Amino acid sequence: MIEFTINNQPVTALKGETILQVARKTGFYIPTMCYIEKTKPCASCRLCVVEADSVDGLILSCQTPPTQGLAVTIDSDRLQQERTNIMRLYDVNHPLECGVCDKSGACDLQNKTLEFGISAQHFSAKDQNRKIEHWGLINYDPSLCILCEKCVHVCNEIIGDDAITLQFGGYKSAVVPKNSEKLDCTFCGECIAVCPVGALVSSQFQYSANAWELTQIPATCAHCSAGCSLTYEVKHTSNSNGAKPKIYRVTNNFEVATLCGAGRFGFDFDIQASKDNELFEKAVASFKNAKAIRFSSLITNEEAMILQRLKAKMGIKLFNEEARGYQSFMSAYSSVSGKSAFSGSLDAIAQSDGIIVLGGRVSADNPAVRYAMTTAARHNGARVVYMHPLEDALLQNVITQMVRYEAGSEEGVVAMLAQTLLKNCDISDETKGFLDSLDDGYLCAESNVGDEEFDRIAASLRRAKRKTLIIGSDVLHHKRAANIARLCGLIEKYSDYSLVIIPQNVNTVGVSLICDLDQDEKISDVVGYNAKGDFIVGSLGEYDMALPSLNQQEGTFVSLNYQLLSTNVAVAFEGYCLNDITTSLGVKAENTIDYTVQLPTEKGFKAVEFDALGNFYGPLGEDNRGYQLETMDCTIDGVLEEIEDLPEFNGTVVYYSNPVNQFNGYTARTSQLEHDTSLRGSAQFAAAARLSGGERIQIEGANTVRTFILDESLKGTIALVPTFDTSFGGLPETYRFEKIKLIKVGS
Amino acid sequence: MSKVYFSTWRGEQINNMGKPESQWEKSAYNLPEEYNEHSHAKAFIGWDGLALFNPDVDVVRLATEYAAQYQVYSEACGRCAPGRWGGRILYDLLDKIARGEGAASDMDHLKEVSKTMQETSKCEIGKTVPTPLLDLMTHFEHEFMACITEQKASKHYHLEDTSYIAKITAPCMDACPAHVDIPAYIEGVRDLRFDDSLMATRQTMPLAHTCGRVCPHPCETECRRTNLDEPISIMELKRLGADYETDHGFGFFHPVEKKASIGKKVAVIGSGPAGLTGAYYLALDGIDVDVYEELPVLGGEVAVGVPEYRMPIDKYNQDIEAVRDLGVNFITNTKVTADMMRQYENDYDAILVATGTRISKKVYCDNERPAIQGYWGAIDFLDKVNLQVKYDIMVPKEDQVRHMLPSNFVDLTGKTLVCVGGGFTSMDVVRCAIRANAKKVVMLYRRDEKTIIKNTTYEEYHEAVEEGVEFIFHSAVAAMYDENDVLKSLTVDRYELVPDPNGGRATLEKIEGASFEMACDYLIPAVSQSADLKLIPEEWEIERTSWATIKTNGKDYMTSRKGIFAAGDCEYGPMTIVNAVGQAKRAASVMARYVVNGEITLVDDEIMEDHLRKLKVYDKKEKITGWLPGLPRQHSEVLTVEERRDNNREVKYGFTQEEAMSEAERCMRCYYIAMVAH
Repeated sequence: MIEFTINNQPVTALKGETILQVARKTGFYIPTMCYIEKTKPCASCRLCVVEADSVDGLILSCQTPPTQGLAVTIDSDRLQQERTNIMRLYDVNHPLECGVCDKSGACDLQNKTLEFGISAQHFSAKDQNRKIEHWGLINYDPSLCILCEKCVHVCNEIIGDDAITLQFGGYKSAVVPKNSEKLDCTFCGECIAVCPVGALVSSQFQYSANAWELTQIPATCAHCSAGCSLTYEVKHTSNSNGAKPKIYRVTNNFEVATLCGAGRFGFDFDIQASKDNELFEKAVASFKNAKAIRFSSLITNEEAMILQRLKAKMGIKLFNEEARGYQSFMSAYSSVSGKSAFSGSLDAIAQSDGIIVLGGRVSADNPAVRYAMTTAARHNGARVVYMHPLEDALLQNVITQMVRYEAGSEEGVVAMLAQTLLKNCDISDETKGFLDSLDDGYLCAESNVGDEEFDRIAASLRRAKRKTLIIGSDVLHHKRAANIARLCGLIEKYSDYSLVIIPQNVNTVGVSLICDLDQDEKISDVVGYNAKGDFIVGSLGEYDMALPSLNQQEGTFVSLNYQLLSTNVAVAFEGYCLNDITTSLGVKAENTIDYTVQLPTEKGFKAVEFDALGNFYGPLGEDNRGYQLETMDCTIDGVLEEIEDLPEFNGTVVYYSNPVNQFNGYTARTSQLEHDTSLRGSAQFAAAARLSGGERIQIEGANTVRTFILDESLKGTIALVPTFDTSFGGLPETYRFEKIKLIKVGS
Repeated sequence: MSKVYFSTWRGEQINNMGKPESQWEKSAYNLPEEYNEHSHAKAFIGWDGLALFNPDVDVVRLATEYAAQYQVYSEACGRCAPGRWGGRILYDLLDKIARGEGAASDMDHLKEVSKTMQETSKCEIGKTVPTPLLDLMTHFEHEFMACITEQKASKHYHLEDTSYIAKITAPCMDACPAHVDIPAYIEGVRDLRFDDSLMATRQTMPLAHTCGRVCPHPCETECRRTNLDEPISIMELKRLGADYETDHGFGFFHPVEKKASIGKKVAVIGSGPAGLTGAYYLALDGIDVDVYEELPVLGGEVAVGVPEYRMPIDKYNQDIEAVRDLGVNFITNTKVTADMMRQYENDYDAILVATGTRISKKVYCDNERPAIQGYWGAIDFLDKVNLQVKYDIMVPKEDQVRHMLPSNFVDLTGKTLVCVGGGFTSMDVVRCAIRANAKKVVMLYRRDEKTIIKNTTYEEYHEAVEEGVEFIFHSAVAAMYDENDVLKSLTVDRYELVPDPNGGRATLEKIEGASFEMACDYLIPAVSQSADLKLIPEEWEIERTSWATIKTNGKDYMTSRKGIFAAGDCEYGPMTIVNAVGQAKRAASVMARYVVNGEITLVDDEIMEDHLRKLKVYDKKEKITGWLPGLPRQHSEVLTVEERRDNNREVKYGFTQEEAMSEAERCMRCYYIAMVAH
């Protein structure tokens, strides 16, 4: 703790805090143009200069930690004069096109120009002719750019694409794609979000609306289990058919949160329908006659609650293999750890200095996890061990050790990992006996991960103080999932690792907590809700009756952080919703959100009304979104089973994994996201499967025809197959690696 | 002392206007009066003032050109609002005045922008560019006003009679023999752009892992932050970029793309730091390079001299691989002879001799006979230790016998080892001896503790003491005693420092009667090394220095024989890695031009580099403004004595990310721009 004063008022700084951070925390205003809390200071605008006693000259508050007893002055005539001059410099030759600029009304340059009362151009310099760059979803206008460098910092430090850089050239400096002509990145759009002026803009949104015309609807992203906060910005269209509400763009609180491209650009998945009474009756009848309801986890907690009530009332079964997989995994985990939820979170990952990831393609499965890993790698110099059968080129600048294991061998690998990580931990004799009895030679040989690789993991993480083990969704549907879960519980219980298990869908966690799920029996008389069935309702696939999409509903999700988050209606849905159907069946509620307060407290939910839930970040980044679920104590009765013989995956093997920004049927139908449906494999795979780039193929048993792309960034014999474009989208409810047969399709 | 017409350099106020040349007051500084052998300088202008060498300088044009150098040509910056726009405005307004279109208000605007730049710019370049401009506008206001009031161009505005040569520097860059762009690589760390950091280092220093560990960092002695609190830990911050590349398994981040082969060939003799550096920059320039190495392993003294616990070989190998990555061809186990050199002169377009100094000098005591067993030269001792520790190359049978080793590695169990030295090599000897399990290890040094720290580093000395090395200061070996050619004991004389009553340098004088005898098994002379130049054909008559090293002019590194160059210790005498790197980098640059056009030339940047070093960029009396003092220098964690004494684990962990960030944020980016008009 460092005590010092700001404008004579005593304040204290924690270790590592800067003068600017303390000022903001204690309510003092220091103007900035380039500061963004979540990255290292860009230190380019120089507006945040302050005076300090005993120091000649002005010091930069954004990058200077205070010293004990320092007396800082943050406003004076001298500071005002210099700051005003800086703003005058910012305004030199800035194009006077505020009238059409996207940013007008929400522009930092506009705001600060007004704040400092700059009414005319004080200095002059020769203007330059600069070309607007078109980078796909992003446009860049260098003449509007104030070179604050925020975009460059987030791209490198938070996202990890490291796709843009500053080209030095004094007055001619510009933001340019790094190491390529055109922008080559995952199009998260974070650069657009942080741009304080109109230099980086969404190419689709550009010139379509003014900031002040848009209505902001705070919501939660529906695409993956990270539950990122976002704001749908909505306006009425003005076409000849009459004004209809439309989502124009998605924004977010970029100061503290981050959003991936799917969240930012994949927003137009809303559908429309009118109230068709005949169809409604048919739907009600189908529910009445149903033996089971099959549904996906693209559903709110409240709807899940409705289905659970329906089950209780009508005795029908609930099928959701994906959530059931997670549910059993967690239950096996709890039987060893004694807790209902794992200890880690996205924040814990971001603060780690040692990370092990196993069993998932995180960059595509859950970009928020990737961003947290990038943050840890950059900011904490985290050692990152990535264990998977497939390399991921996107993570190269994050990973410090790649461990490739054979597909299917996860149980053996996790067991060996437990042995490695628990080596010097205080474990029970029973556990010790179990770990000692592992057949290292067999496990290492069959998983193809050598002893020395485990030794290297131990050595590389020896000095780490805050460590996280991330378990991807591959193992959730593994034949040996339960034992893998127990091993994960074991590691978490006895080591200093926190644990994160990545659920597949936006509300897998919620469903797993709320619904009593049955094993899918492939019976008839099943109603599908965004899933296969004899009668299908929903907003995905070929439904018989439309129900609102997830951006057209109010309700809540539970994120992978075990945080309950609320979402809202961006575009109203004119048709019926699930609650209308079930109310007719006697499970009655006026509104779906009446169920929010009724969510099961014995599972960690709190009895809070929907309208009482917050959905915002505080001015200092405090998370005021929903609430954190209580972690419940569980009975410890899990017994580790002997490791089964490791399966072999020979022949043509594929891994089901979507391209970045694609997740499911919702993202599949948005207009801006890339729809790459190809099957991607390495040269080795191509040789083994006798394929060459560009050939059209079909996986036996599936009806989608795909183009094979030879991907230089891939190695090994396993190819990547997307699933977002299949009828309901989403990853399979089975193990993600599969031996398949490829059929060539004539051209 | 320099002859000037007018100077404001470093605050001096010399104005010889109107005085006859014979009465001109001289400047106290080594200003670049002569640009090169062909050209006198007209003016020098920089961060701390300016000097005019003759009365005919067009000061308005000079000011304009200086602003232009900063804004138009300088690519170093553009990263802060005041510098970026301010610089442009300075140039535009000055040029407007110079071409005869200025207004009186432009002078006010110039002063106003100057002040904001001086107060708020990100780096010193933005803060200091206005300094000489304001000096000019103050002292030569009449010339500026003449252009404005008469609306006429400045006197030489339309003449192309003057070259304006600028150079970006910084105190640390100037002090670094390799002139590494230190602020840029630290900025890369601060911005978490480690690839940029490494590429900045590799512009002039290919051995980033190595010089992030074992450089004596002369830069830190001339770090401007010292004037405020403590110097930046410059050396260690270099490791972050190198580690980033290695840890993530990237290829190699070279500073520029390697040029396509230009069909020229160079032989480099020796694969130590100088050889590697020469090869690296020659290869980047598209020249085919063959490197000949006498030993079975690459890397020279850093490989076989510097111990594993200071410089892990896997890290050094990364630096070597970066050189190989450019297509450099390495030929090991090849001791180059005079005959081979004669052949190479025909086979190659040029030769770089970089053979170092590998002969241990004698301590000059009685009975100092190489035949005595136990008398073991430091270089050979370290060779034997390191070849085994780093490469598992065991000590050959005849050497085991020669050095009385019980087995095929250097095992000193039960033995007493005395080393005479005081520099890095001797430190390596004694600390290796501790790790070889010696019973007792003694270092004899003629001077005192303070001097040994100055000659090595504080850490190095203290770590050796912690590990159990006994230091006897003010001592020297007077005689060796043997039994049947086996060393048994020494006589050690003691000295004291006697001040010169006339105020001159104190002298060391022997204390009579204080000598003592000391039993020992080994005496390792590590006082200095000399060059083995038997490979140079005698008939070439290559000139030598008085220290028996190869003579060059210290600028272009060509020997007295055309096409034969020399760099590193074989040229300078035993010195630092970074010195070898700096020399070899320059030699490579000269050679790259020589093999194309047969001429020996320096480019402007190199000429300016040498001028600035003579002038010295760092000013230890300067008062620092705009930075908060009292932010402590970070120190990385080291292994405890128990953890390190009996093994070769790297002693220093290197910075944690948090430490590195705190340290990088202390850097004040003291870039300056200097310009000569000639």
